Amino acid sequence: MLVFRSAVVLSENILGVAPEDEAYYKGLFTSGTIKCKDGSKTFTKAQLNDDFCDCSDGTDEPGTSACPAGKFYCRNTGHNPVSIFSSRVNDGICDCCDGSDENDGKIKCKNTCWEAGKVARDRLRKKITTFRDGVKIRKHEVEQAKLSAAKDEEELSRLKNEENILKGLVQQLKERKEQIEKAEEKERVQKEKEEKQKKEAEEAKLKEQKGEEKVNVEEQKGEEKVNVVEQEAVGSKSDDEAGAHDHSPSGQDLNKAPADVEVGVAHNDEDGDKDASLDNIEEEHAEENEEPSKVAQEYNPDESSNAAHEYDHSHVPESKEEDGSEDANSLSREELGREIGSRWTGKKNEEQNEDAGTARHNYDDDDDDDNYDDDDTSDNAHDEEYSGYDTETEEDRQKYEDDDHMNGVGDDDSSDSHKYESDGESDMSDMESTSNPSWLEKIQQTVRKFLEAVNPFQTPVDTSESENVRKEYDDASGKLSKMQTRISSLTKKLGHDFGPEMEFYSLYGQCLEIKENKYVYKVCPFKEATQMEGHSTTRLGQWDKFDESYKVMLFTNGDKCWNGPHRSLTVRLRCGSKVELADIDEPSRCEYSALLTTPALCQEGRLKELEDKLESTIYDTSLLQS
Amino acid sequence: MGQILLISLKTDTNNDLSITIKGGRNMSSSSIVLHHFLFLLLIVCHLTSVSSWKKDEFRNCNQTPFCKRARSRKPQHCKLIATDVRIEDGELTAKLMNPQENLDENSLIISLSVYQNGILRMKIDEDPVQNPPKKRFQVPDVVLPEFQSKKLWLQRYTKDGDSFSVYLFDGYEAVVKSDSFEVFVREQSSGKRVLSFNSHGLFDFEQLRVKKEGDEWEERFRSHTDSRPYGPQSISFDVSFYGADFVYGIPEHATSLALKPTNGPGIEESEPYRLFNLDVFEYLHESPFGLYGSIPLMLSHGKSHGTSGFFWLNAAEMQIDVLGSGWDAESSILLPDQKRIDTLWMSEAGIVDAFFFIGPKPKDVVKQYASVTGTSAMPQLFATGYHQCRWNYRDEEDVKNVDSKFDEHDIPYDVLWLDIEHTDGKRYFTWDKALFPNPEEMQKDLASRGRRMVTIVDPHIKRDDNYHIHKEASKNGYYVKDATGKDFDGWCWPGSSSYIDMVNPEIRSWWADKFSYTEYVGSTPSLYIWNDMNEPSVFNGPEVTMPRDALHYGNVEHRELHNAYGYYFHMATSEGLVKREGGKDRPFVLSRAFFPGTQRYGTVWTGDNIAEWEHLRVSVPMILTLGLTGITFSGADVGGFFGNPETELLVRWYQVAAYLPFFRGHAHHDTKRREPWLFGEHNTELIRDAIRVRYTFLPYFYTLFREANMTGVPVARPLWMEFPYDEATFNNDEAFMVGNALLVQGVYTRGAKDVTVYLPRDHTWYDLKTGTAYKGGHAQKMEVTDADIPVFQRSGTIIPRKDRFRRSTLQMENDPYTLVIAVDSSGAAEGEVYIDDGKSYEFKQGAYIHRRFIFSDGKLTSVNLAAASSTSSFVSDCTIERIILLGYSSKTKSVRIEPSNHATDVELGPLQIRSGVRSSALTIRKPNVRISDDWTIRLL
Repeated sequence: MLVFRSAVVLSENILGVAPEDEAYYKGLFTSGTIKCKDGSKTFTKAQLNDDFCDCSDGTDEPGTSACPAGKFYCRNTGHNPVSIFSSRVNDGICDCCDGSDENDGKIKCKNTCWEAGKVARDRLRKKITTFRDGVKIRKHEVEQAKLSAAKDEEELSRLKNEENILKGLVQQLKERKEQIEKAEEKERVQKEKEEKQKKEAEEAKLKEQKGEEKVNVEEQKGEEKVNVVEQEAVGSKSDDEAGAHDHSPSGQDLNKAPADVEVGVAHNDEDGDKDASLDNIEEEHAEENEEPSKVAQEYNPDESSNAAHEYDHSHVPESKEEDGSEDANSLSREELGREIGSRWTGKKNEEQNEDAGTARHNYDDDDDDDNYDDDDTSDNAHDEEYSGYDTETEEDRQKYEDDDHMNGVGDDDSSDSHKYESDGESDMSDMESTSNPSWLEKIQQTVRKFLEAVNPFQTPVDTSESENVRKEYDDASGKLSKMQTRISSLTKKLGHDFGPEMEFYSLYGQCLEIKENKYVYKVCPFKEATQMEGHSTTRLGQWDKFDESYKVMLFTNGDKCWNGPHRSLTVRLRCGSKVELADIDEPSRCEYSALLTTPALCQEGRLKELEDKLESTIYDTSLLQS
Repeated sequence: MGQILLISLKTDTNNDLSITIKGGRNMSSSSIVLHHFLFLLLIVCHLTSVSSWKKDEFRNCNQTPFCKRARSRKPQHCKLIATDVRIEDGELTAKLMNPQENLDENSLIISLSVYQNGILRMKIDEDPVQNPPKKRFQVPDVVLPEFQSKKLWLQRYTKDGDSFSVYLFDGYEAVVKSDSFEVFVREQSSGKRVLSFNSHGLFDFEQLRVKKEGDEWEERFRSHTDSRPYGPQSISFDVSFYGADFVYGIPEHATSLALKPTNGPGIEESEPYRLFNLDVFEYLHESPFGLYGSIPLMLSHGKSHGTSGFFWLNAAEMQIDVLGSGWDAESSILLPDQKRIDTLWMSEAGIVDAFFFIGPKPKDVVKQYASVTGTSAMPQLFATGYHQCRWNYRDEEDVKNVDSKFDEHDIPYDVLWLDIEHTDGKRYFTWDKALFPNPEEMQKDLASRGRRMVTIVDPHIKRDDNYHIHKEASKNGYYVKDATGKDFDGWCWPGSSSYIDMVNPEIRSWWADKFSYTEYVGSTPSLYIWNDMNEPSVFNGPEVTMPRDALHYGNVEHRELHNAYGYYFHMATSEGLVKREGGKDRPFVLSRAFFPGTQRYGTVWTGDNIAEWEHLRVSVPMILTLGLTGITFSGADVGGFFGNPETELLVRWYQVAAYLPFFRGHAHHDTKRREPWLFGEHNTELIRDAIRVRYTFLPYFYTLFREANMTGVPVARPLWMEFPYDEATFNNDEAFMVGNALLVQGVYTRGAKDVTVYLPRDHTWYDLKTGTAYKGGHAQKMEVTDADIPVFQRSGTIIPRKDRFRRSTLQMENDPYTLVIAVDSSGAAEGEVYIDDGKSYEFKQGAYIHRRFIFSDGKLTSVNLAAASSTSSFVSDCTIERIILLGYSSKTKSVRIEPSNHATDVELGPLQIRSGVRSSALTIRKPNVRISDDWTIRLL
């Protein structure tokens, strides 16, 4: 207490000195001269705050603006003390709430510390409340995370065991099935000899289809299950698959038009109820590409235009450029204007790309919407292009609103949390029942039964028996593939870094949404972040990592910007009792930022700091009042 | 039901672009394919154009008939002789006619008039008596009205053979030679020529004719047709600069300061320097191609004569060849045996209205030119600080954040700028209500810390019936008309747009009124303006501008005044800002297009440059050239507009730009954010230092702006302007002078560890940071660090500084001064300071402080330079807190100050107060004399 009081006396003499520095200046009052803090010089008591800079570090002028490197300490009793740049001293602007920075009499600053301090304290209290709640939730979540992780790990090891058993069974079934098929084949060869001419024609047709892997996959979906199963068993080498086709007992389904097949694939992506075999195939694709719509992506006009871009940069011959301009010549006045203007904005092109994206989705979507028939599509393109120069035209606005209605995205809820839609989570319950040991035993029994009962060397083959074998094989391998899917998704999940205390575990599989103007932003931690506008989706980034010791989530390598980088998103994390997304922004083009509140950031230590801070300010304040 | 279109682009071996479209099932009609194909085509067309400047979109000389014709002419093409020479209205007049053939060519009228201080004006036009089909366009509103009062009334001429000479200036005369026709300026005593016109007989004047059957007057370029209803009307001629080692001027080109020859032996096929205001996407450095503005003023400088200048007041497209020596080897013309540089001037229309400036010193020529077109307006003090711009600061929150970050990092700045996106759909004078709901509050908040805002206002007006500007303009017929007489409709940012016809004074006045606070809703007194796209830029027009046959007020074709369009727009906007404050507040308007006279209305910048080292490099000669041709208040976008500068380039750019008159950071919206604090602590510090250096020198800059305002001598000067006898400086455009005291050498390469600096001879140069003295006269290699670029103070000068840092210029107002004296070999030095209120026109009534500081014999004196009789006064309580002496050896410990008769200490102190930088110079501590008083400080 005594020390405190003497410090007050001293600081009244030394304007702008922080309490922790008061001891340093004491030397001036005892010896009359001290060194500048940086040792560059010495200065006397008379040179202290004499409005002339002697020390290049500003030591001699804590209370004036004379030294550029100086700092001025405002006591701000009733509020938080601050050190401000010397450039703020006597500059005509009140910076300290106690007004001490303006002391040359030119302007009068009101002391606003009490009010400001009150506001700050209230804010601090609120923050503490949030933290307290958050800390509780966090504790709970950390516990839960440990349990869930343990559960997940347990499940994983169990699944791996079962997978081994099932694999063996499937292998056995497969061998048996092949034996049967061999027998069938024998029978068939005999028949074939009798109708040789006819068969040859068909054979040729079959060959044509060779190599069209997707064709087969698609076709066999419903009708040729055996074939699919065989593919799986044989492996994914396309040669082998083709071989399998050659051996195919019947080519009856291979006559469909190839175009049809492509559409079918695209269609499947949207398909909700996929059967087991298809799931399996998809999973294989997913290993290379998280997006299920791989096929559609491959032909994404975006990428084609990227290719064109590269092409343009790498080796466009002079004549080609002229060709381009020739085309420009044939443009209408308006188009020409747009084209030239777009050089500065780069927008037209991108809008167009986005347009192309939109169009693609539209076609996928359906044609029940009048907005999206052929003519409108081109009109739409026109308008979007237009909006490259204009923030938003009336028609555009109308359109976006329409879009919202159509999608039902209109709910302007600022933030919304969802689970990933199709991340194998739905499989989980399924899997749990599948992994019931009794089921496994049942299968084992059945297989044993088959192996004993069916005699593959007997001709003619017993059709019902062979059908049974095939069906059983299908079921078993289907289950196996589902199991493998689950194993890989669990492995992937458990491979993530969920923070030192696994405090981010519960965010796995969650998506947060926020609506900002015409866009809906969706952030799925550990997965990806997207920006949706109507039907078109732009990927802002894929999950990269945590940064700044778990204060930031990074999503990188999103869709490429025209004439710019790949999009990326930086999510700052802040303590909050709820998981909420806020403040999405694009400070630099294609570099997004957002704020995410989560209890995971509500650390107990930090709460303690805040509480201490509040206590000390209240203590200071009560001191002031007494 | 789904459908997929497979579109792929690939490159064949022969580089043909092949486009494949595969349609899927249910292709309802082929139109889908077609639409996508067109889409794709647009994308492709677009992509081929993004890479950079497209040469073939702009006309070259061969595609420009008048240029092609003029360039193909051989010397002695001109057959005219001057007849009927006489003095009339104080001018020497004559008729120019072709005596050999009795062609249907009419004669031309030539008149020579002489003005004070060595200016000859020559006009050549069609003879009105012969009733030409149309009066040819003479550019009004450029020559100062008061210039006329400087006319010397010629009384007589002297005839010598077929030469008629008149008095021009003390020791100089102007001569008209009758046959063959030639006009020149020469020294009276020696007979040495200074400048000559038509010495090579390349003069050609296409007279207006009535269109006859079979006349094909239309011109086509790409998809555009120019109807050319009046047919060919071009003018071309040769001008020779005697005693010239180099020629300079004729902006705007991204080229070296000393102009390279464009035609002649040994010179590869090259384009002439083009003067045609264009909005050029990603312009190239080292190109004679014309950019955003045009000033047809060329200066020459050489060891033997000194400096002279030639200015052709003409607003049509112009092309200028600098002819390499020997270009005329095959002609038999005999010219005086003097070193010279010949040039060829070509213009599409207008008349000959040419000015000959005799110099002979560099500053004489710029003063002579300024007496014709005016000196630069006195800027507000804030405008000389640092400006922060970006396309775009998106909303009020963004503005707040950027502003507060400057404070957080203790970096001073004065102005925050908003580009086109702040408007409601590119309707100028409006605000995007979602992004900027409270523009007034935003500006007031900035103003509370002394900061201003600038918003953009362009000349293209959105054709939207609900837009008040469009409504009024179309109702009143205020738009430029197309060739058929309808409002011209072109494409720019807002889409379909029309362009205000600023040539009409009534329309300018209407436009100016739009800047009143009631009309420009959301504007406040701290809001200033930026005029962009005023070349004018028309995205779908020929060469991205307005068709030449568009019509302006007075039935003037656009071709006749194209280069002045942006000037009129700038003028009208500037007048608007003057009007809104009742003539009390100096305007600040930045323009991209410019023309002679622009300096009276505001500031210009070098347009859409690129974030490359070469663009940093070329920005220096570009700005120096603008200064030589009258526009001293100019700058280049710091960092480069297009592209992302590497950090080192950005830092170097700040370091150089801090010494150039207009100092603004700007960036394209596709670029990464590049505010000063975004590149790590160390680079933040470097950029802060660069900006702070600018602020410490503001008293010096402001004094130089006043000098430019009074005399026309630019703030940033080529070295040869200050050292006209030092040949080594003549083509140095890597270094420049700020005033007569500071030499700045930029660093223009990546990772430079040293640079070679030429310090002019006969002077000693003091390193700005360390005070180290260097003898001038040779190029020397100097080490550089990333901390700064080499800058030197010349011996014999005194520079006023303010060494305290503040948020912006406003808070510096009462801060004390530091004087830095660098003495010459005789121990003497001189310098000035000019101070006024920094914003109003009161200085015109004498409300200013103007002091000269003279140091000699160990005594510093402050002398009043202000006019004695003034109706208004300006007072300042500012004192001088520190006086630093460089190159003065003395063991003195104290000084005595008169008249207060007090003493103060002399000690060793730092040259700049910066932590970590050790320097030591003789420092007078706290003399505390007032800046506005007479006093003497004597070293004891």
